Amino acid sequence: MIIAKRVLNTLTELWPVLETLMKRFKMGDFSIKEVQSIIKQHFPHYSGAQIYKETNRLLSQDILVPLAKSSQLEINRAVSDFAAYLLQDESLGVAAEIHVLVEDLERLSTKLSKAVSDDDYADISRYTRIMDERVRKIVKLYKHNENAIYNLVEQAKANGSSMSLSKRYKAVIEAFDEYIEPMLEMLDISGAFQICFDAIELGLTEHLLHLKQSGRDTNTIRMLEQLRTRILDMHHIGRESLRQSADILMPLREELRQNTLVTRQAAKVLGLIRKRGLDNVMSAHQPFFASEPMHHQLGSNAQLVAYMAGLSEFEEHDFEMPDASAAEPYRAPNIPSFRDVRALFKPAKGNSKARRQQLIDVLDTHYPELESDELLYLYQKLINDPSLTLSQSEQLETKTIAGKRFALYPFIDASDATTTKSSEEL
Amino acid sequence: MTTIDLTQLTQLHYINKKLVSGYHISEQDNLAWQELDQQQAQYAALFSALGHTLVHDARGFFHFATDEGTANMGKISRAIALFIYTLIEHYANQGQDPMRALFDKDVDLELCQELVLHNKVLYDQLEIFSGTDLRKDVLMRMVRLGMAKAKDKESVFRLLAPIHRYLDALLEVNEDALESAEEL
Repeated sequence: MIIAKRVLNTLTELWPVLETLMKRFKMGDFSIKEVQSIIKQHFPHYSGAQIYKETNRLLSQDILVPLAKSSQLEINRAVSDFAAYLLQDESLGVAAEIHVLVEDLERLSTKLSKAVSDDDYADISRYTRIMDERVRKIVKLYKHNENAIYNLVEQAKANGSSMSLSKRYKAVIEAFDEYIEPMLEMLDISGAFQICFDAIELGLTEHLLHLKQSGRDTNTIRMLEQLRTRILDMHHIGRESLRQSADILMPLREELRQNTLVTRQAAKVLGLIRKRGLDNVMSAHQPFFASEPMHHQLGSNAQLVAYMAGLSEFEEHDFEMPDASAAEPYRAPNIPSFRDVRALFKPAKGNSKARRQQLIDVLDTHYPELESDELLYLYQKLINDPSLTLSQSEQLETKTIAGKRFALYPFIDASDATTTKSSEEL
Repeated sequence: MTTIDLTQLTQLHYINKKLVSGYHISEQDNLAWQELDQQQAQYAALFSALGHTLVHDARGFFHFATDEGTANMGKISRAIALFIYTLIEHYANQGQDPMRALFDKDVDLELCQELVLHNKVLYDQLEIFSGTDLRKDVLMRMVRLGMAKAKDKESVFRLLAPIHRYLDALLEVNEDALESAEEL
């Protein structure tokens, strides 16, 4: 017993091997040695024992089956059909194939009518099921052939220029003669197919009506309804698919196509895009443009990489502590203590000489060694001192203190003075 | 060392604005084209100092070289590629010389419709389902990038020289290279 999931796992894991087998041998046979060498090629790190194990797995799960009376192998038909469908690598069938199926459908529909008239419900559902299967198969063939035609056309368009035109398009012309034309004839509005399908459909509708009136077996009715829909749909799909196929084959058959390098390459690339997806094919080659958002984002990748590279090379500079011996020793400002300064102005007996003098002059004469800003600092502290009585002159005067000139309205010590605002004692 | 005299670069504002947004300046942009052509060295020096590379393509257009784009720009670029390749295919099927027809023939809504219809599988990948979609998503963008110009109230388009970039890309795609890239 082969477990489906196990087979699927094997298919996924060894898909590249199967793909290569499909491509290299098409539908032909191959030896076990060739399978092993393909496995080796795809999984170069596998040991001999592992390769043997994988080959065995393919054989034991019937993915590869031996040819009758031979040591050669081939891919299991069911697997190869599935793979061909996945790879869109189908080859064109002949119109006769579809024709046979349609004839069979016609035969089955007469049997179905008989079963309905006999009220044989087992037979009705049996024939319905078989007809349903046939219809599905026809639809599958349509799709299959359409894909095959695409492949043919691509090959013809993209082929090298060394061959003659008629040779290059031989497959195309054959396809046209053996598939498209007979199919078109069959599907023609008043062709054999149309008449046949009309008859089948009419029969089905009658059976449905009959069964519904008899009120029997809803399951059978449902199946019949489904079958009728499927047949209608099949006809539509067939016409569409043929129209498409004819559309792409027609220009080639007319041999009008200009075969420049660009045209051939375009056909090839479009074929690739159809199979592998636009993003896969074009991502590596598409041109880029500058775009507005790029200027707003953090930076292009290249800039970021450069930045990261810069970070990795980052080295911290050694932080140097200042040398204790080299630093200059702290020098306190040589301002005399404020208390001493204020004492100069405290009202005291015998100290009237100092009174009614401008504060700034007193400071200048008492502390000639101070800098101008130091003197001004003391001056400003004095005029803000509440314990002193001061008055301010209304006249602007210009003074030179410690070599700097200032213009100010000088404060006068007025602690004992009755005559204020006098500036005669300059 | 090129000296840049800004007084000579009278179209600088327009040229910079256009090129930075991804626009291709081709001969149809008379003023800008002439100035770029004449003062090419100055412009190239100025732009390279600003971190751009000005590319002059001998087939008649200027653009900024960028080797990476935003995800959205990538998608637009692929859509344009698909449009141009299906157009080549279309002209070839009609028996015309695609290289001539690309630049000499107008693209109208009817042609867009036909392209989408005939290449449904391909355009479905881009979520383009009708000629109107194609016109809006691809052709209008091409106009903004300077790869096509619109006529008659944006109903008819004519492709311009910068689409040569896509033809180069087309010739670069190589099935073998693609396969080996996939296997890696």
